[in-house]
Amino acid sequence: MRKGIVLLLLTLLSALTYSYTNHSDQDPYLLTDYSRLHPVKVKRIVKGQETEQLVQVVRDAAAQGLKVSIAGQRHSQGGHTYYKDAVVVDMTPFNRVLAIDAAARTVTVQAGATWADVQRSIQPYGLAIRTMQSQNIFTVGGSLSVNAHGRDIRNGSLIKSVLSYRLLMADGRILEVSRTSHSELFPLALGGYGLFGIILDVTLSLTDDEIYRLRVDTVSTEDYIDYFRQNVLGDPNIQMHLARVSVGPDHDLTDMYALNYEIAAETEQDPGLFRLRDNEQWVTPAKALFQLNRLSDAWKDTFWKMQLKVFQGQDGELISRNNAMRSDSDFMETQEPGWNDLLQEYFIPMDEYADFLRDFGSVLKRHEMNLLNITVRYVNKDDEAELSYATEDMFALVCLFRTPLSEQGQEKFGEGIQTVVNQVIAHGGTYYLPYAGYPTKAQLYAAYPKAETFFRLKRKYDPDELFYNGFYEQYGVN
Amino acid sequence: MNIRTLIRTQSIVTFAGGFIYPYYLLFLKNLGNSYSKYGLAFAVFTISSAAASQLLSRYVDRHSRRLMLTGSLGLTAAMLCFPWVMSYMAVLVLQIVMGMCNAMQRMSEKALLADETEAGNRGRPIGDYHFWTTATSGGAILAAGYVIDYLTINVLFNVSALLYGISALLTWRRRMNEAS
Ligand SMILES: Cc1cc2nc3c(=O)[nH]c(=O)nc-3n(C[C@H](O)[C@H](O)[C@H](O)COP(=O)(O)OP(=O)(O)OC[C@H]3O[C@@H](n4cnc5c(N)ncnc54)[C@H](O)[C@@H]3O)c2cc1C
Repeated sequence: MRKGIVLLLLTLLSALTYSYTNHSDQDPYLLTDYSRLHPVKVKRIVKGQETEQLVQVVRDAAAQGLKVSIAGQRHSQGGHTYYKDAVVVDMTPFNRVLAIDAAARTVTVQAGATWADVQRSIQPYGLAIRTMQSQNIFTVGGSLSVNAHGRDIRNGSLIKSVLSYRLLMADGRILEVSRTSHSELFPLALGGYGLFGIILDVTLSLTDDEIYRLRVDTVSTEDYIDYFRQNVLGDPNIQMHLARVSVGPDHDLTDMYALNYEIAAETEQDPGLFRLRDNEQWVTPAKALFQLNRLSDAWKDTFWKMQLKVFQGQDGELISRNNAMRSDSDFMETQEPGWNDLLQEYFIPMDEYADFLRDFGSVLKRHEMNLLNITVRYVNKDDEAELSYATEDMFALVCLFRTPLSEQGQEKFGEGIQTVVNQVIAHGGTYYLPYAGYPTKAQLYAAYPKAETFFRLKRKYDPDELFYNGFYEQYGVN
Repeated sequence: MNIRTLIRTQSIVTFAGGFIYPYYLLFLKNLGNSYSKYGLAFAVFTISSAAASQLLSRYVDRHSRRLMLTGSLGLTAAMLCFPWVMSYMAVLVLQIVMGMCNAMQRMSEKALLADETEAGNRGRPIGDYHFWTTATSGGAILAAGYVIDYLTINVLFNVSALLYGISALLTWRRRMNEAS
């Protein structure tokens, strides 16, 4: 009798778990990306191993009339790395560091390597990357293809540190691309979202690894622009910067804190500080706190205060450039079935910043959007990349939203995002393209006037549209 | 079947198990999948084993060798099926089958252990039994990591199938010998 009850309970619990996890975003036999949106069945996933093998993969797919999608760490969120029934080339095993020239301060690396791989190989030479994301988990190829940006405020977007790269084209040829060779391609495949070919390897210009002193300030949203111009941009010692905006109900987009990394004095350059820090600390408690943040608005204020306190406790600490470019991320990971935290990022002209935030705040309320975090960074004007997001010197607002993945939930959330993007465009801004494709085609063309040319040139270099993905289908196809 | 043969066949079984168990469901833990979904697949195995035990208990006294043989054969079949599975539901079904085979194995193993030892004098043989079965399992887990690194997870399934098959063969030969 008792055994029967226990068995029954266990069976019930199993059934409950089954239904809890029974979402398409959890189907292990379908492929998706970091967003877990739009899972599909692909033809096959091929691991990139050798150059000749990749050439063969491209030729075979072309011969069989299959599409090719290119994938790095798949942290893009808009179907950029896969397509239904396509051959997906997983570049992550193609990750050797090929050459380091310490005197010229350059590194040549295969595109599947992550920034962590690059940092590990260049740090012993006292070198560091010029521009990369705030975290080091991404592949070099994936970062080049979105023309990434990060905390550095002096070195521009990633494209600026690229010297040359080799591109495997749809017809199987391998081109050496630089500002002087096949120069038309150079600003296309960088920020090209895998549509022009497979980037095989790249030579990047590096800078010196240095020791920075962290300086933490608080400032109001209204005063941020003056603060930034005078105290950050105007201080040549500051090399990196990021800021956050409060999102809790008590400080509704009104408060900010800023982290500045200023070059430390010679006497403080302790060699031990250059050692790469690998282990993320305090993941479990931080993860638990962040979970509360997801569930209740009231917690956002508490979380804000705690986070600020933690950083204020670090004020004055010394950190190397390489270590400042490998910040924590595990604590934000979420696997919850049917829900996810998704990023959207808006580039706003500096003088429009405070006004935009006001409008943004009212859209958030009207559309009941659950915003977990806003990180603000600075991007230099870039008129090189064809799809450049930095049409002038701008603030980049990275917004982390919690959203249901259900069809209905997605529709409602998408409407909210489209309203936000309208505001962005009205303020003369642009938005970042690696994230989920909520904006309409018209919005993309409004934010990126050169999109027309970009997609036309894609078809010039790849007339059979071999390189294909969800992003291209949504925005690029004629 | 004496205690030494029992240790031998069961060590092969735990070797095969150790080879596969820590790894064979890892593919379910894809980017973004929840740990609860992953856990469920293991729980189904255990619960099925518990449920099967209640049915099997009436056969264990008289048919323990036959149960052991069936369990090994069932696990061989399951290992051969795994690489071909293409849906989560099928994984759960296989887990249920494997849970039943596991119950056959574990229950008959305990019965045979009791048969082959005498009350008051079991310490040493049980110690031996435990040592060899767990030690081989530890070795298997270590070796399997390398196998996945250098080959594929499918190799694990095939090797495990082979080992379960060998243990079945040994049990069967013992039975025939003792019957004659
Ligand atoms: C938590 C999180 C934090 C982030 N932070 C930042 C940030 O601070 N700054 C920032 O700029 N971005 C940021 N991003 C966005 C991120 O930089 C991009 O999504 C980037 O593309 C991720 O790299 P990946 O290796 O995952 O690329 P994937 O997502 O795998 O690929 C991205 C694109 O690159 C193409 N691609 C990949 N490899 C190649 C190759 N070898 N040749 C040709 N095309 C290729 C793919 O086809 C795809 O179109 C963040 C994303 C997440 C999820």
